[in-house]
Amino acid sequence: MAVAEIDPRTLDIDPAVTDIDPVEGRPTLVAGAPGFAGVTEAVSRAVEWKPPRGWYVVFAISLAALGTLGVAVAWLFWEGVGIWGNNIPVGWGFPIVNFVFWVGIGHAGTLISAVLFLLRQRWRTSINRAAEAMTIFAVMCALVFPTIHVGRPWLVYWMLPVPNQMAMWPQFRSPLMWDVFAVSIYGTVSLLFWYLGLIPDLATLRDRAKTRVRRLAYGLFAVGWRGSHRQWMHYEKAYLLLAGLATPLVLSVHSVVSFDFATSQLPGWHTTIFPPYFVAGAIFSGVAMVVTLMVVCRVAFKLTHLITLLHFDRMAKLMLLTGTLVGYAYATEFFIAWYSGNPFERFAFINRALGPYAWAYWIMVTCNVVVPQLFWFKKLRTSIPLLFVASLLINLGMWFERFVIVVTSLHRDFLPSSWGLYAPTAWDVLTLIGSFGLFFTMFCLFVRFLPMVAMSEVKGVLPEARVNH
Amino acid sequence: MSDHARIEPSAARRPTVTLPSAATEPPAGRRARRLPAIGFGLGAVGFGVSGLLAGDGARFYASYLVAWLFATSIALGGLFFVLLHHATRAGWSAVLRRLAEHLAATMPLLALLFVPVALGLERLYPWARPEAAADPLLAAKSAWLEPGFFLARAAVVLGAWSLLAWWFRRRSLAQDATGDPAISRRLKALAAPALIVFGLTLTVGAFDWIMSLEPHWYSTIFGVYFFAGSVVAVFATLILLALAARPVLGEVVTAEHFHDLGKLLFAFVVFWAYIAFSQFMLIWYGNLPEETLWYAHRTGPGWEGATVALAAGHFVLPFFFLLSRAVKRRAPTLVAGAVWMLAMHYLDLYWLVMPSLDPAGLRPHALDAATLVAVVGFGAGAFGLLMRRRALVPVRDPRLPESLSFENV
Amino acid sequence: MSGERTLWGLLAEFTTPDRLVVACRGVRDAGYARWDAHTPFPVHGLDAAMGVRRSPVGWFVLGLGLAGAAGGMLLQWWVSTTAYPLVISGKPLFSWPAFVPIMFECGVLGGATGAVLGFLLLSRLPRPFHPLFASERFERVSDDRFFISIEAADPRFDRQATEALLGRLGAEHVEPVETGGGAAGARARGER
Repeated sequence: MAVAEIDPRTLDIDPAVTDIDPVEGRPTLVAGAPGFAGVTEAVSRAVEWKPPRGWYVVFAISLAALGTLGVAVAWLFWEGVGIWGNNIPVGWGFPIVNFVFWVGIGHAGTLISAVLFLLRQRWRTSINRAAEAMTIFAVMCALVFPTIHVGRPWLVYWMLPVPNQMAMWPQFRSPLMWDVFAVSIYGTVSLLFWYLGLIPDLATLRDRAKTRVRRLAYGLFAVGWRGSHRQWMHYEKAYLLLAGLATPLVLSVHSVVSFDFATSQLPGWHTTIFPPYFVAGAIFSGVAMVVTLMVVCRVAFKLTHLITLLHFDRMAKLMLLTGTLVGYAYATEFFIAWYSGNPFERFAFINRALGPYAWAYWIMVTCNVVVPQLFWFKKLRTSIPLLFVASLLINLGMWFERFVIVVTSLHRDFLPSSWGLYAPTAWDVLTLIGSFGLFFTMFCLFVRFLPMVAMSEVKGVLPEARVNH
Repeated sequence: MSDHARIEPSAARRPTVTLPSAATEPPAGRRARRLPAIGFGLGAVGFGVSGLLAGDGARFYASYLVAWLFATSIALGGLFFVLLHHATRAGWSAVLRRLAEHLAATMPLLALLFVPVALGLERLYPWARPEAAADPLLAAKSAWLEPGFFLARAAVVLGAWSLLAWWFRRRSLAQDATGDPAISRRLKALAAPALIVFGLTLTVGAFDWIMSLEPHWYSTIFGVYFFAGSVVAVFATLILLALAARPVLGEVVTAEHFHDLGKLLFAFVVFWAYIAFSQFMLIWYGNLPEETLWYAHRTGPGWEGATVALAAGHFVLPFFFLLSRAVKRRAPTLVAGAVWMLAMHYLDLYWLVMPSLDPAGLRPHALDAATLVAVVGFGAGAFGLLMRRRALVPVRDPRLPESLSFENV
Repeated sequence: MSGERTLWGLLAEFTTPDRLVVACRGVRDAGYARWDAHTPFPVHGLDAAMGVRRSPVGWFVLGLGLAGAAGGMLLQWWVSTTAYPLVISGKPLFSWPAFVPIMFECGVLGGATGAVLGFLLLSRLPRPFHPLFASERFERVSDDRFFISIEAADPRFDRQATEALLGRLGAEHVEPVETGGGAAGARARGER
């Protein structure tokens, strides 16, 4: 670009063409210029045709794992919570680690849907549908654990504020009660948001349906959508406001989950940075899960021109950002533990790094702080194999982060005579595997029957959609 | 990225945008020309009055610290705005970036103005006094909380901020002359690591200058809290600056930009409240005396009024006020909101500092005003000097056209 | 209803959003009131081109959101001070800091419900049977085509004149849409 001749007061670049960055000439969001019909075709085809063979394999494995969950939960209800590794002093073990892990993963869906929408990031349109679905399924998996872990699961309804014959009410000062509200409301609002976004796409599938059953099924949930602009106006406003509501919701839900720990007095738990630290970690692990899912789905369903390397580049940057924030939290906690002069605080952190669970701590640090640093380099951000492996490592690291927080703080707290060790049992591990089964079963069903890319939103960011007054 | 075609920036044939000539020239109005004189003049008067009222100095250093933090947090927010703009390749904010660059570049002067704080170490910080050696808790952290190391850290932190602010502004000004897109690329590459440095230094600053006023107390979220307040302050300041520069920027900074600034102000007001509440609720819930003493000082009979005022004024009122779309797009309401938020930010810093030094209660003193005028006056004077002979808009930033034609949905 | 067919209105098809926006301005300026544009995605600039006012969905959100938050706080206050007071770690019965998280969540739930409810009510949805579904070409509204429909009930409607206007405004195809027992009902029920 010859700059010397350009009059500083006028610049020869069409200001409305925002997909083209005047500095870098960045590529468009969708490759191959499919046009509106091309987008419809590519996404609907995945739902209308028989799925690829791999889908059946993944579905079968997921169903098997889901079966394992069923068996593990049935045995749990029959025998009791003693089948797990929870003991004294480590009264919380795998179940809460898994709960926090799943709730965390859900957060990326809301971030991509709501926060990136508010920040006008148009690249989100190819992945937000799948990410929101991921959120809903992750929340389902998360809610399994509090439900089954109470020891007398037939009394689980005591957590709900409904009038009953004992005139008994829940204890609202407990963070675990806050969890009940936060996570279930999060699931509900995510479901509402996801459904709202689905309406125009369900209309597309309804209009393309070749069989009576499909037309009725999609038509029922499409509620008679006909693309009327007067309706789009209300729709867009509702969508914007839901995004505006979902954003503080995302912050609040994992903050409430962090309150489970931070409201205690335990060194390593009771620290004020937990809320934003947990939220950053949640988004971190969630985006990693989206990357894992999208790497597979875009190839399996031939959507590589809609879910492009640009999208992975952006997600890698998000992982770098949130991973760095998590690292900041680790560093701050460590420093303040020393600064406090409190011997229990200081010990807690030394024990994490050098005690019996040091192996878990160093897995956590390597996967959460070191691995995302790879994403400083553009080549690595756009290398699919590396992204896939890194995303798995990051989720491994984030699972271990919750393990380290829960187990190391509980197993050695104030009184050395109360110290102990924790080891999971086979049932702990099977329940965790089973929860993955639930997640992937739901996700397989989702990609089979619902459009996994938000067609109407992608069409809206194509160059052809631009109106030149 | 090889899976689809690259589209290069176009040649002519596309419609063009025109920048009004007023915006491309340095501000020439009377107000702009007189700003350095007025600023430094007021600043000198402020210092003079402070000196007269200083007495034994105890109250002077406290008031001065609040005033200095107020000005520095705004400059710091400006630095954050510039770094974030580059790191995210933002388009809409290009018209505002120069103002933020000037704000951030007042940092070297503010670094110099740290000297009175350095002189008042023993008055301000319990750990700097000789009695501290007898306190086992302070002895345990004396490797960190020790005057020499403290001042060295302050030099590093303020030096880093000054260097970053100066560099980013200098390169941006260079782009005014050449329009070279490579400058944008370089700054973007530098902005992300700079943000990491920013985060770490900000945390050290907040821990050192504010948190150590009560050295038995600690809170891991404190850096984030200071950050949130600074960002609220800088958005409010940018709104006021953009409106004050109406004669020059009137056609350039539109209702769309103000709407976005208003939205960001709203978002960070909510973020501030989230951080403030998290810190408070967790400490209240744990009920550990070594943590609650800090809040006990602020909710006792002397200070509880200020605490309630802060919660209501820094969050509840602006939340409902800034919710409205109309408010965010009109100058009079935005000015009111921005001025209010700056006042609340001052109250926030006052509330962070004073109860640790004067637990008896909120007792405003003329020194509070005098020191504020002193520091802000000097800051404004520096801003006026920085503004001279430079366009108020990065005239050849390649993303400027996008910024000029930007429209909210 | 019996098989009597009356004209519901005219449906004009356009191939690009640009043409649609220009055409909408034309229809708006011609003074029609009972008409609408139909698109596969929200087209920027149609609000102004059609002359429609902004959506009041926000009031539903605000109202139900505040109600939700108030309700959440009220529930906790009542339960903790009156219905089932428990002294937990020496904290006061009305521990408002501990009640904020649930109050906030209930507020968000109320707001989200308000958004969806408001959208459905204002859009008069669900409405699975609509005369426009009788048109085969209209199926492309959820794919890649853009439409304008003008109802016969509009005071300015005139079969020939309106059709001519739509043609002049760049419609690729204009068709009449009929309502009444036969075609619309059958298609909506999935028969062909």
